[in-house]
Amino acid sequence: MPQLSRSDWYDLARDTNWAFRYVDEEEVFPEALSGTSRVPAEAWLKWDEPYKVTYREYVHNQVTKDTTTYSLKNAVSRSKLFDQLDPGWKSVIVAHYGAISMPEYLASIGEARMGRFGRSAAWRNTATFGTLDEIRHGQIQTFFPYGLLDKEPRGDWALKAFHTNNWIILAVRYLFDDMFVANDALSIALQLTFTLETGFTNLQFLGMAADAIDVGDLEFGSLISSIQTDEARHAQQGEPTIKVLIDNGEKEWGQFLIDHMFWRSWRIFALLTGLSMDYYTPLESRRMSFKEFIEDWVVKQFADQFRDYGLEFPWYWDEFINELTWYHHAIHLGVWNYRPTVWWNPDAGVSEAERLWLEEKYPGWNRHFGRHWDVITENVRKGDIAATLPETLPITCKPVPAADRAGRGRARRRTHRRHAAEPRAQRPQVRLLLRALQVDLHPAAGPLRRTPVADRPGALGRDQPAGPGHGVGVLRALGRGAGAGRRQLRMGRQQRDEGLNRWRCYR
Amino acid sequence: MALLPLSAQFEGDVLELLIPVDDEDTVEAVGAAIAHHVVGRRVAAQDVPIRLRHNGRVLDPQERIGAAGVAPLDHVEAFYA
Repeated sequence: MPQLSRSDWYDLARDTNWAFRYVDEEEVFPEALSGTSRVPAEAWLKWDEPYKVTYREYVHNQVTKDTTTYSLKNAVSRSKLFDQLDPGWKSVIVAHYGAISMPEYLASIGEARMGRFGRSAAWRNTATFGTLDEIRHGQIQTFFPYGLLDKEPRGDWALKAFHTNNWIILAVRYLFDDMFVANDALSIALQLTFTLETGFTNLQFLGMAADAIDVGDLEFGSLISSIQTDEARHAQQGEPTIKVLIDNGEKEWGQFLIDHMFWRSWRIFALLTGLSMDYYTPLESRRMSFKEFIEDWVVKQFADQFRDYGLEFPWYWDEFINELTWYHHAIHLGVWNYRPTVWWNPDAGVSEAERLWLEEKYPGWNRHFGRHWDVITENVRKGDIAATLPETLPITCKPVPAADRAGRGRARRRTHRRHAAEPRAQRPQVRLLLRALQVDLHPAAGPLRRTPVADRPGALGRDQPAGPGHGVGVLRALGRGAGAGRRQLRMGRQQRDEGLNRWRCYR
Repeated sequence: MALLPLSAQFEGDVLELLIPVDDEDTVEAVGAAIAHHVVGRRVAAQDVPIRLRHNGRVLDPQERIGAAGVAPLDHVEAFYA
């Protein structure tokens, strides 16, 4: 059999852009699923992926990755390496597995949508590999934490988390359902692969792999590396897609899709990665602060990339830059206070040395956030753990906590002023909370109890043991039943519907 | 006598909280209810009175919260006077 080089046959083999005889274009590529009708069908033929791979090469690469990674896991599982990891790092991976494993599988739905409804054969070909990638990522990131169950019982949150109505999961699911699952192929290309993967997670996975090796977590480092190399390949779908849009006068639509999802990705990214980098990762293993990471990898490189295409900074860019210095610090205080409601063991990460590091990386940290930790630390030293635990619910916004810069409240007050101009009944936060409160706080449901949630051992530093009792929901502690979770889910669906309606209006 | 859930923040704190009160409670009692979740927990205690601000207006401590024009889920701010 003659051995042809790939370039001799690649374009011909992948070209399945057939002329339809028995159906029309709209039937094959319904707008709701494809989203590509803004551009003429023939214009999509110019879609060309910069990194090409054949199925034979793909399978060879993936087998090699799996063999290496699973072999390493087998070897490590017979050692005491995991036991010796810093508790803060264990928080990083437990949080990661719960929040990311299932979305990886959900991303395979998004990739499959592009694999079927992408308007170009080259795009569909690339997305098919992406589908296989994401199925692998979902499986491997569930298999690995399940292998840790005898040492880390909360590894089962990798599968369980997205089947709960945990408030962090609501926030993550709300984002990823909109981005991966309830989205059209065009928007997925720009929002999942271009904005989230190219902008945030691909770079994050590079950093996490390096950090994992640095702290001695060879298993997680190998896992993340094997995933990141897939991401780097299938994330390239965004670039040719935005190029086709711009070349055909649809730059504004591309800009809107990116602006929309960049902001939402940032908020979740700050919650998951900001806390991991600046508080959970052992001090000696921190290579850079979260702010430095975002400035170097997102602000400079990603922003340069999309500006190369003639796109502008998102209209809220100044607010985003402003938030780099405070948002995740406020979130960290909130998550730590509400720690019985999350599935990982939030490491306070505010020892004397860590506070010095935080002040160096974030000048003014002690003035804005250290003073809160002073009060908390005093309560812990007095043994008053109950004073470090919540007795009421935080206000959340879609549904990330409405955090504030240590009481300055500039962003929140701006939002409040904006909503204040609307009739009260139409303010989104009020509308959603009222719906919940009609049930939750109706006098017939009984008064809120002020009994503190169950005390938990170890409040500060790295001495918090992992135990199966961790993660008792504050809703239950406050006397609510499972119905509160179902109501939260309904609220999430309502928010999603509102988002889709706004999106449709724009179109 | 009716439940009045409020969206509240204590000046200097980082979190916005859900604070359920009664519309017959005094403004002073509402300030204390907000402080219960914040002062000595994340914000250091001070031996000074706590006041309440609503839509930019500082409320009379002895006024009934329901009569002060504060509606369900309105945002209120408690602060050290």
